[in-house]
Amino acid sequence: MNDSIKTQISAFIDGELPENEAELLLRRMSQDRELRQQAAEYLQMGRVIRGEQTLPGMEKLRQRISDELDDKSEHLEFDVPDSGGPRYTRPLAGFAIAATVALAAIFGLQQIASVTDINSVPGSDSAAVAESVDGGAYTVPEQVDDQLREYYMRHNASSSYFGADSINARLVTLQLREGVIVESDAEIPPLDEDKEAVDEESTATAPE
Amino acid sequence: MTMRRRQLVLNTCAALGALLASELSTAAEELGPHDWLTRMVDAVQTTDYEGTVIRLQNGVVDALKVVHVVSDGVVREKVIVQEGNGLEIIRNGNEVQCILPDKKSVLIEEWNDQSTLFSTLPSNDIRFGSEYDVSIVREERVAGRKAVLLAIRPHDSFRFGHRIWLDRETGFPLKTTLVGAQGEAIEQVKFADISIGKKIHPSALVPSIDTESFSWFTSQKRAISRAVETEWNSDSLPPGFRVVSMNEEEVPGQQEPLVHIMYSDGLANVSVFIEPLKDKNPARSSRVGSSNSFSIQSGDYQVTAVGEVPADTVQNIATSMRRN
Repeated sequence: MNDSIKTQISAFIDGELPENEAELLLRRMSQDRELRQQAAEYLQMGRVIRGEQTLPGMEKLRQRISDELDDKSEHLEFDVPDSGGPRYTRPLAGFAIAATVALAAIFGLQQIASVTDINSVPGSDSAAVAESVDGGAYTVPEQVDDQLREYYMRHNASSSYFGADSINARLVTLQLREGVIVESDAEIPPLDEDKEAVDEESTATAPE
Repeated sequence: MTMRRRQLVLNTCAALGALLASELSTAAEELGPHDWLTRMVDAVQTTDYEGTVIRLQNGVVDALKVVHVVSDGVVREKVIVQEGNGLEIIRNGNEVQCILPDKKSVLIEEWNDQSTLFSTLPSNDIRFGSEYDVSIVREERVAGRKAVLLAIRPHDSFRFGHRIWLDRETGFPLKTTLVGAQGEAIEQVKFADISIGKKIHPSALVPSIDTESFSWFTSQKRAISRAVETEWNSDSLPPGFRVVSMNEEEVPGQQEPLVHIMYSDGLANVSVFIEPLKDKNPARSSRVGSSNSFSIQSGDYQVTAVGEVPADTVQNIATSMRRN
């Protein structure tokens, strides 16, 4: 990445890039993960400069998930699924946590991810951690709050009936979609390998 | 065809084209802001599109590839998140599959409403009261297309404002911004590129990876709710907010149902949840995405307000709840 692009990104983050150049940059960013990463880093630098603290361990968590990037969308091969066939589903506690972490990382749901991460950092004082985002202060709960998550999900589900078909509500619902994974009506017993996976997950006690 | 006749035909076509363009331009200019909102609602519900969306929120930049088709009223959609683990969301009507490639897992959800990832407010049911002004600001180019910028400005700080850039040709929203009280952008969603109204091959809507060997899971169905008259009400709602629903909702593993009251100003919604206090909790606020919440103890109950409104608004509403 050359300095010219970096300067452009910096100007874009500061809102100083002319609209036509911003347009071009956004298009490039949509195709280039490195550019997006650079933009995210500049945004983060700006927050630090403004004295907005980052929750401990957040970057580590992000990096860990970022390391798994593989950009499969660049090499698409369409496989038509057999949607009419039977599906075998099962309860899996570990999956729910994994999905939450993945979605949180993807959609920038920093609060939920941070809460999870704080608890995994020895010696961190989670109760005392607070962050200012866009000028609004909030208190990070001491632990992942299932009740609050459930409230957000119920609110978003209900909002859609009152014309609030907003991207915010929908994405937040996806972000929070942890819930309890239940076994659906499988017509035949799970395959052996599925059973092993269930057993394996059922013994798992700690999130990733 | 002689050269002269060919030239005549070309000139006639050019004149007709210019006339048509002029007519369209005039028609577009004559539309008022509410006409544009109506066009937007129609466009969102009927337009097929394919493109890349950039989302900026809380200092995070996300990119998503989107394919969206509406056929006989059924929404089919594919969203591929370009960050993280390559999550794919496949929607076929009410059934939604969330595919997590790294976990070799698929989570099946049911969305009962017709909303989609990129359908944005407001719907036909929205009736603006005196709490917002809607105006056409100017024309700009977004994703290489001419767009009309609409501004929805609240009269007070109890709610967020919105800026929506609508495709001049179709009314489809190309960019939306949620605006805070100080004019700051809380969230921006923008198409970096988009193809509208072109034929989309069915293969573009199937998962881009083979899920045959993946494990499939279903999320638990939502709890049953029923409309009720509740003893709870607010003694000091922010202007414009009114009750739009009151429900009792079952909570798994809990005997007493949850009271859920929904308030709306026609655009912003706030839910209030009331249930018996389990543990003594201090008042607290939280934020998820652009949603805020505030919880407080009221007698033997816990009252929590949640909504896509400023933090002060959910706090005001939660603390105003009283039991008759």
